[in-house]
Amino acid sequence: MSDAYGEPISAGGSQHSGELTLSFDQAVDLRRIEAALHAARERGGPAPESVATLNLVAITFNAAQYERACPALEAAGTLHPCRLIALIADALIEHDSLSAAVSVIRSGGAVTMERIVLSATGRAVRHLESAMMGLLRPDLPMVVVWGGRPLGDLLHRVVESADRIVTDSGARPPNYLAETADLLAKGAPIGDLAWARIFPWQSLAADTLDLPNLREHRGNIRNARVVCAGAVGAEGLLLLGWMQSRIKRLEVAIEAQGAPDEDAGVPQGPIPRAAPMGLGHVRLLEFVAPPVTFTLHRESGLLLAEVKGDDDGYVAHRVRLPPELPGSLLALELKILAGRDELYAQSAQQAAKLLRAAKP
Amino acid sequence: MPYAPEDDEVPNPLRPGLRAETAPEPCAVVIFGASGDLAHRKLVPALYNLAVGGHLPGAFAVVGVAKTGYAHDEFVQDMREAVGKFSRTRPIDPEIWQDFAAGMRYVCGEFDDPDTFARLRNTLEEADRSRATRGNRLFYFATPPSAFPSLLERLKEAGLIRSPLESGFTRVVIEKPFGRDLASARALNRLVLQTFDERQVFRIDHYLGKETVQNLLVFRFGNSIFEPIWNRRYVEHVQITAGEELGIEGRGHYYEEAGVLRDMIQNHVQQLLCLCAMEPPIAYDADGVRDEKLKVLRAVETFDSQERVAADVVLGQYAPGSIAGADVPGYQQEKDVAQGSRTPTFVAARFNVRSWRWDGVPFYVRSGKRMPKRATEIAVHFRRIPHQLFGEGATQPNVLIIRVQPQEGITLRFSAKVPGERYRPRTVSMDFRYGTTFASATPEAYERLLLDAMRGDQTLFTRGDEVEAAWKIAGSILKYTESPAFPRPYLYEAGSWGPRQADQLLARDGRAWRRL
Repeated sequence: MSDAYGEPISAGGSQHSGELTLSFDQAVDLRRIEAALHAARERGGPAPESVATLNLVAITFNAAQYERACPALEAAGTLHPCRLIALIADALIEHDSLSAAVSVIRSGGAVTMERIVLSATGRAVRHLESAMMGLLRPDLPMVVVWGGRPLGDLLHRVVESADRIVTDSGARPPNYLAETADLLAKGAPIGDLAWARIFPWQSLAADTLDLPNLREHRGNIRNARVVCAGAVGAEGLLLLGWMQSRIKRLEVAIEAQGAPDEDAGVPQGPIPRAAPMGLGHVRLLEFVAPPVTFTLHRESGLLLAEVKGDDDGYVAHRVRLPPELPGSLLALELKILAGRDELYAQSAQQAAKLLRAAKP
Repeated sequence: MPYAPEDDEVPNPLRPGLRAETAPEPCAVVIFGASGDLAHRKLVPALYNLAVGGHLPGAFAVVGVAKTGYAHDEFVQDMREAVGKFSRTRPIDPEIWQDFAAGMRYVCGEFDDPDTFARLRNTLEEADRSRATRGNRLFYFATPPSAFPSLLERLKEAGLIRSPLESGFTRVVIEKPFGRDLASARALNRLVLQTFDERQVFRIDHYLGKETVQNLLVFRFGNSIFEPIWNRRYVEHVQITAGEELGIEGRGHYYEEAGVLRDMIQNHVQQLLCLCAMEPPIAYDADGVRDEKLKVLRAVETFDSQERVAADVVLGQYAPGSIAGADVPGYQQEKDVAQGSRTPTFVAARFNVRSWRWDGVPFYVRSGKRMPKRATEIAVHFRRIPHQLFGEGATQPNVLIIRVQPQEGITLRFSAKVPGERYRPRTVSMDFRYGTTFASATPEAYERLLLDAMRGDQTLFTRGDEVEAAWKIAGSILKYTESPAFPRPYLYEAGSWGPRQADQLLARDGRAWRRL
């Protein structure tokens, strides 16, 4: 936990001793959890201010998955003060257990995150959903971060009760995008970190077509091609889906070339930088409005837009990719607390058509 | 409506629905007065922070123009030191700096010398070739106003200004003070508009770049519960305070000419008043917002007699005193301040806004240097409850406070029952703090404003007619207070909230300044 995100304060023990863990024999005792939260708030000083703009519910399926998601949840949750309820539902472990870990995070003197981690194994996982419902702060929207495949009864129940569900299609094989598109077609309020990852590409492509001498080509775009790093990924499919949803009769192609950047982890250091290009991430977008070819490609932390066929070819735009801190993509998606991004829904459905067309 | 080439074009098919903000087009930012304080403290650090945040176009250049005889490398080094000292994000990222500094150019010369502008033109053309800035220029006048006429004339002569109808943009950002009275503001507007179209002119007031100032519009027009009570029926009076702990910080020459009325009231304080008092704009765009602000300025009653000024305006000047336990000199002891100076460093005034919404609701404003602390806020005082159910004076009127700086946020004061005792009410505060609710780093005002200027968005910049209307009000006070017949400013001890006459201004109306 970085100091930049505030100091976690446990409900019991010393200030830095970590979370207070409560174990339950049968059902989750909501009163004990609320009492522990209250104790954690009080430990930070007299009557600290407490702010919350949403209930952030993270659903993961084993402890390791939660640990991986934890830095991003904490960071995003601090940027959007919230009650974070993390559910770890590990049904693969046969032994039945049910526990809660409670802590708060303060920032600038105020409590900006109340965190409750509910873990269940074996058959006890069935208690998690009702426990979570009892722990929601009233009147605030509920946004669910879904860490699993876009399938199953639990997801369908979440779709019915959540104001928004954030998933990451980029973390799964691209064919799961079709499942997400099906849910979107039924009106599910789904957001996607893979979608947030392609914002700079979309923005640069639109900005390039806004340049005065290139505006004349706007109505003449005929085909588009995306190259992904290492393997075809959801980001590339969404990028093409977006273009097809915006431009009628656009012919598209997608392929994989080269390898992802060696260090595909989130960059560390005092100054945040763009994330390395991971497996399936977009390496190049090319679209053609004869006789002009627009090529957007990635070079380290930069995106470059080059234009050929109009004059002699030149770099039309060059933008630095936004720095990526843990949780920054999630924080971006949390700017919408309810409903869905219609452009994403259209693009994902278009991307799913591409997937279906590619299947033998 | 002037012809705009894009009217005939196919709309950008990739633009609708995008959540990312529009990036500025490639451009060169030309800073006149690049060796000055503003460039060092604010402008170059703001541009660097835009680079850190990935907001600058990749095809970008910064061209400094000043009299200082820097070699190119010295200029870059000097700017690096300034960024290291004043940037919001530190330490400097070497990779981002390298990229940013590669776009830096420097032109040394006098602002009235045609040769300076011939060399500037060559430099910009070179930047167009090597940095792909595509002929787009944003000229920033970070110079004393006395340099504006020759800058405008020489830019025009050198062929560096394109009309909005030509491809490639030319825009100009003009720092305050925009004139020193109504006549000079009008003259400057005429001069600027002989060279530029109003759509190319960005008159900057950095208060409008502050997040909380912009939030005032969201607070008022994005919530349904406040606007119905935001009028003379519910509001008893409004207090606007812009206090500074600092003195004149070695700027004696400037301050002797300006004084608090020109330095703070004509621009920042009147802008706060406008945003507080304006009607809902038709649309959140440049003219929608500025039309409504202009209406407020036109509704503010000017000070049409010496008696009115004497009754409703209190001027002060700080005497030696103590702030936060340290002794500080009086204004008269500051460097470059004339012996026996009559320049006011404090003003308190009562403004009347003669409009359907506000008639009869006084707007009390005060601003001063060497106050006990830095505090800028708008406090909306609501009317008393009609029937004192819990005893006379048991409840205090509600107050809504919009804190602009520091600790940006909003506080609502209301009555609550003290537990246990029988209906003894006490005033309590409900606080919203911007910094804790939205924990993301808040950009500096200059970052937002420079980015808007590069994008061509004039919403947060003042229009020519707005500046003139503001001068009409401030000028009506200055007309009397700068006359030798007007009494000298009252002395107040540094570290106090101004002379006691400022308290009397409100006490006369049965009111008191909020204790800050």
